Amino acid sequence: MLEIKELNVSYNGTQVLKNVNLKLEKGQFLSIIGESGAGKTTLGLSIMGLVEGSCSGAMLFNGRDLLSMCEDERRRLRGSKLAMVFQNVENTLHPLYTIREQIMEAVLVHGADDKRKALAKVSEILALVKIDGDRAARYPHQLSGGERQRALIAMALVNDPEVLILDEPTASLDAFTKNEIIQLLNEIAGDKVTLLITHDLAVAAQLSNQMAVLYGGRIIETGPSEKLLANPRHPYTRGLLRSYPGMDTTKDLQGIPGKMAHNVTGCPFHPRCTQRINICAQEAPELVDNGRGMIACHRGGIIPLLEVKKLSKTFGYYKAVDDVQLTLYEGETLALVGESGSGKTTLAKTVLGLLRADAGAIFYELEKVSAGDAKFRRQVQMIFQNPRESISHRMNVFQAVKEPLDIHRLGSEEEKLALVREALEDVELPSDDNFLNKYPHHLSGGENQRVSIARALVMKPRVLVADEPTSALDASVQAKIIKLLLNLQERKGLAILLITHDLALARKASDRIAVMLAGRIVEEGPTGRVLAVPRHTFTKSLLQNSRVGQLCPG
Amino acid sequence: MHINILKEVKSDYMGRTGLTILLSLLALALLAPLLTHYRPEDYTGLIFQPPSARHWLGTNDVGQDVWTQLLYGARNSLLTGGGAAVLAVLFSLLTGGSAALLGGMYDRVLMRLVDAMLVIPPVIVVILTAAYLKPNLLLLIVIISVFLWPAGARMVRAQTLALKESMHVMAARSFGGGRTYVLKRHLAPEMGPVLTAIIIQFARRSVFMEAGVSFLGISDPSLVSWGKMMQDALQFTYLDVWKWWLLPPGFALSLTIIGFTFTGTALETVMNPRLRKEVHHAGD
Repeated sequence: MLEIKELNVSYNGTQVLKNVNLKLEKGQFLSIIGESGAGKTTLGLSIMGLVEGSCSGAMLFNGRDLLSMCEDERRRLRGSKLAMVFQNVENTLHPLYTIREQIMEAVLVHGADDKRKALAKVSEILALVKIDGDRAARYPHQLSGGERQRALIAMALVNDPEVLILDEPTASLDAFTKNEIIQLLNEIAGDKVTLLITHDLAVAAQLSNQMAVLYGGRIIETGPSEKLLANPRHPYTRGLLRSYPGMDTTKDLQGIPGKMAHNVTGCPFHPRCTQRINICAQEAPELVDNGRGMIACHRGGIIPLLEVKKLSKTFGYYKAVDDVQLTLYEGETLALVGESGSGKTTLAKTVLGLLRADAGAIFYELEKVSAGDAKFRRQVQMIFQNPRESISHRMNVFQAVKEPLDIHRLGSEEEKLALVREALEDVELPSDDNFLNKYPHHLSGGENQRVSIARALVMKPRVLVADEPTSALDASVQAKIIKLLLNLQERKGLAILLITHDLALARKASDRIAVMLAGRIVEEGPTGRVLAVPRHTFTKSLLQNSRVGQLCPG
Repeated sequence: MHINILKEVKSDYMGRTGLTILLSLLALALLAPLLTHYRPEDYTGLIFQPPSARHWLGTNDVGQDVWTQLLYGARNSLLTGGGAAVLAVLFSLLTGGSAALLGGMYDRVLMRLVDAMLVIPPVIVVILTAAYLKPNLLLLIVIISVFLWPAGARMVRAQTLALKESMHVMAARSFGGGRTYVLKRHLAPEMGPVLTAIIIQFARRSVFMEAGVSFLGISDPSLVSWGKMMQDALQFTYLDVWKWWLLPPGFALSLTIIGFTFTGTALETVMNPRLRKEVHHAGD
């Protein structure tokens, strides 16, 4: 019914929308999500024909191109067939007219001669949005924010439009009012084409059945709402979800590095993307269908960095790791939880090649890892459980952190020194000569663990396998180290396989959880889901046991 | 645990005593030609002389100067001790280390061989060997070290196995460190203390074994040795000579063994965390 083809909009030479393609049928409720400045409102305004910049492309409404219509024709459609609820309730209502008069205006503009009929129509629509007649006779400043929002919705609805565009309809509303408005919008959407512009993901999730993510003027991912939210495939979508504090969010909030810029050549997101490759800066990716919705990414979305396929390891007759399948995606934390002795550490050591697997294979960046794979050794690093033992007591901080560089013969001594200092600064340790010359027994447990993290980071790895990285540390040091790792994840796209028996820690630090029992993965899923609705009996009992000793009992 | 071993041993009372004894004995052995006018095989013509200004510890049944024999005997004792210990420790390191690193069938066969070696009584084998071969100092050193290495191989193997599984070796391997790298940077430096301990223990045992073997008269008869001196002196106990002929080699032997024992004990005190009194860190 409404089809947007290759829409480009620019203001004074700045292209705000680039090659936007959308097809909307009756009854579809699409939300456009993205950061402010992404071009969401411009998209809404250009459908309405209210945009000030220059548009090119085509916008077919019931088969007719809106862009090639004359202004008079567009005016007749605006407000009757195409209606928009504007952002910023405070400014869109005229302070000198009552609500009823303003809604009435919308009817009269579109050529209703009979005032009585028009009044009836207004009363009807007021009843629909649940504003009683007494309130409607008042001026905007006499009404509450929720009532004003309802009035705006009524103005848009009064001519029974076919396309309804809602621009941030619930911003600045409290939870009760927001819910009422959401219910109202749900009722009235019906068989209209509804376009919801918002950065409030929870509202988008509640209302829409389709979502499109807009970034830097381009649509970078579309798909059914549920799937898109549960399983974002574009790194930007994931970043957006991670920075949104939903009521069921478990992981600490993470942002997206950098800020949005227009006029970027290549993929608009590439300056902020942690998995960019050369082509990302040169060519903008096409929005293509890859089976589960559309995505515009040269890498086909978030890449599976480390894949464990049917891995088994036995010690004599004892099956320590039994047919394990795991995938670790770029920039995510996968928590591997389970009781001690369930094979977590054995799994980690086998993945790293420290133990020889009996069966199965490891894939890194979709390629099978062989025994002496230098790239794998450089990019996949491990942090061990006991920091003091994992650093040789014969090595000082400098020698210890430098060790991986020595092994891979990377750089001259001066370059190594610079890299070591950089890694130490990354983990918030001093990098002066005095500290570099200290030995492990001069340092505290937390400092030692940070040195061992620096040692793992000096290679600039993509994957970090952390085996109980904080079990030997007190809570405040643990918090520092976990924050540090999540920070690195946000900035550099570090993928972390976090091995822990501490569910509370996994809850705050991981995107997904895999539960291990007697060498097998018995349950795997998004952290929020696994902790809220555990499916396997073992997960349930693990949760029950972890709940003992809550900080705020009651 | 980063320890400066020599410093620690020196700070220990027992270690200091042991080291002093060993160093003095070494000095006496090395400076033997300066401390006496005679050569050990010289016949002075005067037999069973009591101590005098010319013969500090008198002379023996064939008129050889006992003091000279004692000094040159120290040379042979320490040479046998040191030589056998070094030879045995090298062999221990080679066998024990390779067994731990290679593992598998090789390890199992080698360790059973070690078990078998440990139950063979050395003296019988030495007597048998001496009966068939013409004994000399080099042969003695080789035979003694053959009996010493199995115990050392076990210790080296145990230490290497523990080190191989230690976290810092795991860490080095996780960065991609190969066998040679790990051996050079992580295993070899850690072997120092345990090797020192083994070498001192070996030296003590081989000094004692050499004395025993020559006491039984199955070593090279031309070799001046404390054991042989005692054996010779024992035949004349009905005379007064034992005071200056039998006692000095006995004391010298005891002193040598005490020196090695003290040093070894001090070393163990330093290296075994359970025996350490207080922890001294490097740089403190």
